Amino acid sequence: MDRTPNSPAPPSPGGIFWTFFRISAVTIGGGYAMVPVIGREVTAKGWLEEKEFYDLFALAQSFPGPIALNTALIVGRRTAGIAGFCLALAGILVPPFASVLVVALLLDGFGDLAPVRGFLGGAAAVIPGLVGALLWRMSKTRTWTVWRGVCTICAAAAIISFRPWAIPLFFASVLVALVGEARS
Amino acid sequence: MNLLRLSWVFFKIGIAAYGGGWTIVGIIKTEILGRGWITEAGFSDLVAISQVTPGPVALNAATLVGYRLAGIPGAAAATLSVVAFPILSILAATSLLARLGKARGVLQEALKTGTIALVAMTLWTFLPAAVSSWTSGILAAGAFVLAAFTKTHPLFIILGAGGIGLVLSLLVP
Repeated sequence: MDRTPNSPAPPSPGGIFWTFFRISAVTIGGGYAMVPVIGREVTAKGWLEEKEFYDLFALAQSFPGPIALNTALIVGRRTAGIAGFCLALAGILVPPFASVLVVALLLDGFGDLAPVRGFLGGAAAVIPGLVGALLWRMSKTRTWTVWRGVCTICAAAAIISFRPWAIPLFFASVLVALVGEARS
Repeated sequence: MNLLRLSWVFFKIGIAAYGGGWTIVGIIKTEILGRGWITEAGFSDLVAISQVTPGPVALNAATLVGYRLAGIPGAAAATLSVVAFPILSILAATSLLARLGKARGVLQEALKTGTIALVAMTLWTFLPAAVSSWTSGILAAGAFVLAAFTKTHPLFIILGAGGIGLVLSLLVP
């Protein structure tokens, strides 16, 4: 074991770009589908050890933004400095941007055809179910205390009632929750 | 559509974009529909497409909404604006937050309160669509059961429901 925990095998700049480009281009289903793939790739390549990767993933969740992007940025920076950060950014951003534009252009052409409308209607119909399931899973896996329960219900009620203020109310509720957590 | 206004709205969305795609979709929906920039049905289509194209859903949704509102310049502006704050904060504060150590657990616990509330809001805004017709209701309920209680990948749920919608549109013109 002659590897240091911080940089087992420094990646090449091209390696960083292509790794994240490839993952972003082929992984469908959003951040929580992409993160395990990123983890497998970077540990297989020996850029990071698995525990270190999941520490960085936990760190990525403290920042706003798409979780896959944040994880890639932090991994890029940790393994290859600012250059790694920029290359990870480009690698993650370019494929979805290009593919989404292609799909949008196709829809401009074929979006009014009945089968396309039918497909989109069906695909859109499951959204409430998927969001409900996410809410269910988030609630089930959280360790609840009375304070957390009251805080979360009040936050949800406030944000739902005053939706144009969702962003300030989000931060207000995080702040209140933070004060409560720090005191307990 | 004024590109500066579009960028500002997406920059703001990026600041509160905690907790993954669905919270961001919820905020985009509130901000964009609240301004009357896009219709309810049009937005649901865009979200469905975001789910089945590669890449983070939140980014895809931002790119698509930007494209709908102001073409390719709009797509670029929305995408770059929504990631601007996350990028800057990661650049500025990674080492700071890494040093927080155990205190970060407290921060993340507090963030959970906010993100669960935002997901609840997202659900709330999509619920009227679920009760708009029998087909939508059944598809939504089926998706909930599969996604909440089985390990089915969301992609298959979306593609499956899309397939059902396609077949229905051919059978019942």
